Amino acid sequence: MGVARPAPRLRALPPNTWWWVLAGVVMLPAAAPLGVLAYGLVSGVVTTVPMARLLELAANTGALGAAVTSTSLLIGGASAWLVSRTDLPGKKLATVLVLTPFAVPSFVGALALLGATGADGILSTAWAWMGGDVIRYPSGFWAAWLVLTLISVPLVHLAVAPAVRSLNPTLEEAARGLGAGRLKVFWTVTLPQLRPSLTAGALLVGLYTLSDFGAVSLLRYDTFTRAIYLEYAGRVDRRPALGLAAVLAAVAVLLVWLERGTRTRGVWFTARPRRTGSPVRLGLGGKILGWGFLGTLVTVSLLVPVAVLIAWVMRGLISGVLVNQPWAELGRSMWVALLTALVAGVVVAPVAMVTTRYRNRWAGLLEGGAWALYGVPHIAVGMAMIVFTLWLARPLYQTLVLLVGVYVVMFLPQILGPSRDSLGRVSPSMEEASRSLGRSPLRTFMGITLPLMAPGLLSGAALVFLTTLRELPATLLLRPAGFETLAIRVWSATGEGFYTQGALAGLLLLLVAALPLAIVTRHELIR
Amino acid sequence: MSSGFQVGRRRRTLLTALLTAGLLVGACGGADDPLLIYSGRGEELVGPLIEEFSDSSGLEVEVRYAGSTELASTLLEEGSGTEADVFLAQDPASLGLAAPLMATLPSDVIEAVPPRFRDRGHRWVGVSGRIRTVIYDRDQVQVSDLPASIDDLLDPRWAGMIGVAPTNGSFLAFVAAMILDRGEAATLEWLKELAALDPLDYPKNSPIVAAADAGEVGLGLVNHYYLLRLQAEGAGKRAANHFLSAGDPGSLVMPSGVGVLSGSEQSEDAHRFIEFLLSETAQRYFAEQTYEYPLAAGVRPAASLPPIDSIPTPAIDLSDLHTALERATDLVAEAGLL
Repeated sequence: MGVARPAPRLRALPPNTWWWVLAGVVMLPAAAPLGVLAYGLVSGVVTTVPMARLLELAANTGALGAAVTSTSLLIGGASAWLVSRTDLPGKKLATVLVLTPFAVPSFVGALALLGATGADGILSTAWAWMGGDVIRYPSGFWAAWLVLTLISVPLVHLAVAPAVRSLNPTLEEAARGLGAGRLKVFWTVTLPQLRPSLTAGALLVGLYTLSDFGAVSLLRYDTFTRAIYLEYAGRVDRRPALGLAAVLAAVAVLLVWLERGTRTRGVWFTARPRRTGSPVRLGLGGKILGWGFLGTLVTVSLLVPVAVLIAWVMRGLISGVLVNQPWAELGRSMWVALLTALVAGVVVAPVAMVTTRYRNRWAGLLEGGAWALYGVPHIAVGMAMIVFTLWLARPLYQTLVLLVGVYVVMFLPQILGPSRDSLGRVSPSMEEASRSLGRSPLRTFMGITLPLMAPGLLSGAALVFLTTLRELPATLLLRPAGFETLAIRVWSATGEGFYTQGALAGLLLLLVAALPLAIVTRHELIR
Repeated sequence: MSSGFQVGRRRRTLLTALLTAGLLVGACGGADDPLLIYSGRGEELVGPLIEEFSDSSGLEVEVRYAGSTELASTLLEEGSGTEADVFLAQDPASLGLAAPLMATLPSDVIEAVPPRFRDRGHRWVGVSGRIRTVIYDRDQVQVSDLPASIDDLLDPRWAGMIGVAPTNGSFLAFVAAMILDRGEAATLEWLKELAALDPLDYPKNSPIVAAADAGEVGLGLVNHYYLLRLQAEGAGKRAANHFLSAGDPGSLVMPSGVGVLSGSEQSEDAHRFIEFLLSETAQRYFAEQTYEYPLAAGVRPAASLPPIDSIPTPAIDLSDLHTALERATDLVAEAGLL
C-alpha cells in the first residue's frame, strides 16, 4: 500500500492551517487587480477624464442597463411563468430552448445582427429579393439593447423560474376568495412573493450589461467598456483608461454586493416548506399563444442568428473567400479553456474547504474577494493587470501564465459555488472518522472529501471552460503575442467587416460551447 | 477506501503533470526566439505576406496583431524591455509615436522609398501608400455636385448623407493632418460642423464603401482601396472614388510603414524582413492584392488608379503627424462624433 509521507515541516502545522495557507495563496492574485483599481480610484487618476465625459458615459451605460434589465425581466419573467406554472406541453424542450441563447456570446450576437443587415446583409439580401429596401446597419443604443436583451433573458429565466415554481397558491386562493380581482392578486400577492428573485435577476442583468464589451464595441454604443478600450487603443497615456476602469469596477462591486444581499434572502424565502399549486390551465388558444411567444423568442434569439452565421459561411464557401480558416484559433481556445478549468478545479479545493468548514471573518473575506472580482468587468481587470505587470511583475507581462491565472481568479466563483454545494452535503463526521482511524489529512481529503466533491467540481469546471471560451476583453488586453483565440477572431474579423471569417469562427465557438453548456444546463434542470 | 486513495493519487499525478506542462509551455518563449513583429495591419491583409517571408527566409516569425496606435502605446509602455523586433503600422502617426524606440535603418533600405514617405530621422520607412478619398453613390450624387475640398463637404445639402468612421485610425490621422495644416481651432470648428450634419457612423471604412454601393449613404470619407477590393469581389458597381482637388487633408497621401526596435537582438533578420516588404514580390502583392500604391521597386499601381504624384496633398511632414494624434482623439470626442 502506497504511503504518502508528508514532509516533516508540513506535519508541524495542524491540518486546517494548511487549508488556510493554501486558500490564501490561491486568492492572493485576486488582490492585484482589485488593488490597482482601488489605487486608480483614490489616486486621482480618474481626474484625467473630463467630468462631462464621465457623466455622458454614466448616462449612456445607465440607460442601456435600465432598458435591457426591464425588457429582459418582462420576457424572462413571462417565459419562467409559462414553463413553471402552466400546463404548457413540452416544457422540458421549452426550458432547453429558452436557456440555450445563454451560449451565444454578445459579440457573436452582434456579428449576427451586423451580418443580417446593411448593404450585403443576409436579411437585407432576402428582403431586397422580395422587393424591399436595404435594411440599414443598426448601431448604437437600439442595436446593443436588442442583442443584450435577448442574451439576458435566460439569466432572468434561471433566476425567476424556481421562485415561480414554489409560489404558494394558498395565498392567491385566499386573496381570490376574499374578492380580489386577478390583476389585484397579481400585484399585491404574486409579485411581492417573486420580488427577491426578480431583484436578483435584475441585478444580474444589470451587472452583465455594465460589463459587456463585445456587443457595445461592435455595435458602437458609447458605454464605459467601449470608452475604456478606445482610450486604451487610441491614446498613449494609460491614465484615462485606468481611471474609467476604476469607476466602472466600483459600480460593479456595488451591484455585486446588492446582488449577494438579495441572494441570501431569496434562499431563505424559497426554503420555506409549502405545497405547490396545480399548474394554471391554459386553453387551446392559450397554449398556442404560449408556444407562439416562446417560438418567437427562440427564433429571434437563436435560430435567426445561427442561420445568419451559416449563410455567411455558405456564401464564403461558394465565392471562395473563406481562406483563413481558424483551426489554430480553435485549438488555442480549447486548450486554454481546458487548462483554466483544470487549474480552477485544483485550486478551488482549499478555498471551498475553508469557506464551507470554517465560517468566520477570514472565510468571509476570501469569499467576498472572489465574488467582488467575479463582478468586476473583465476589461477593467485586463487594464488593471496590464498596469500591474508593467509596474510590478514584468516577467509575467503578456504571458500565458498570467492569462490563465487571471481567468482562474476571475471565474473561481463559478466552480466555488457548485463545489461548496457538494461539500456542504459531506458530513465532517466522515472525515473525522477517517482521521481517527489513522489516515493522514491528505489521504482523508483524497479518499473521502474529493470523491464526494466531484459532481460539483465537474459542473463548475464545465462552467469555467464555457466562460473561458467566450471571454473577450481580458483576452484582448492580456494575451501573449500571436495567441489569437476564437473569440478574438470573431471580434476582430467582425470589426474589420470580414463577416465570412467571423461567422466561421463564431459557429465553431457555438459548437465547442455546446457540450459544457449541456452539462451546465442539466445541472440547472435537475435543480 | 484504499482504492479511493489510489484513484485520487493517480488523478492528482495526472493533474500535476498537465499543469506543469501547461506552465512550462507558457513560461518558455522557446529556446530559439522567433522574429517578433507587432503588426497594426490586420491578419487578413498582411498574414499571407508574412507567411511567404517566413517560408522563403526560413525564419520563424511570430506576430502580434492589434490596432496601430494601440501597439505604438504598448511599445512606449514596454520601453527598451520590449520583445518586439519589428513594428509594422498602418499610419505615420503610430510610427512617429514609436520612433524614439527605433533604430536608424540602413541607407539602402531608406533610399528605396521617396523622401516624403519616410521618417526624417530614417527610423521608419513607408511600405505602401493609401490616399484619403470621398466615396460616393453615383445614383444619388451627380459628378458636377461633388465637393472639391473638405469644406464643400459641410454644405447643408449633405445632411444625413455622409458616412464616417470616427474611431478609425485613418480618420484620426486625417484629423491630425488637419490640425497640422490648419490649427486646432479651425479643425474643431470643421468637426463640429460635420457633426451638425448628422453623419452616419460606421466602425471602419469598408462598411462605408459597402453602404455607398447600396445607396445607404451618399458620400463617405474613406481610403481609396476599399472600393477596389469590393470591385474585386464583383460588387462596387454603383459607388465611385472621388479624389479631392484642393490639396487639403481630405486627399492626404499616407503610407503604411515599418521600423526596427533599437532593442532588437535580431536586427539583421528584421532588416531582411523590411527588404522583403520593399521587394518586387511584396510591392506587387500590395498593388494587386490590397490595391495600395507600391512605393518601391518600380512596381505600378492598379490600372484604375491615378498616379500617386498627381494627387494634391497638404504640405505637412508626415514625421510630425504623431504630435497631433492625441489632440485629434480629443477633438473628435469634443465635437460629439464618438
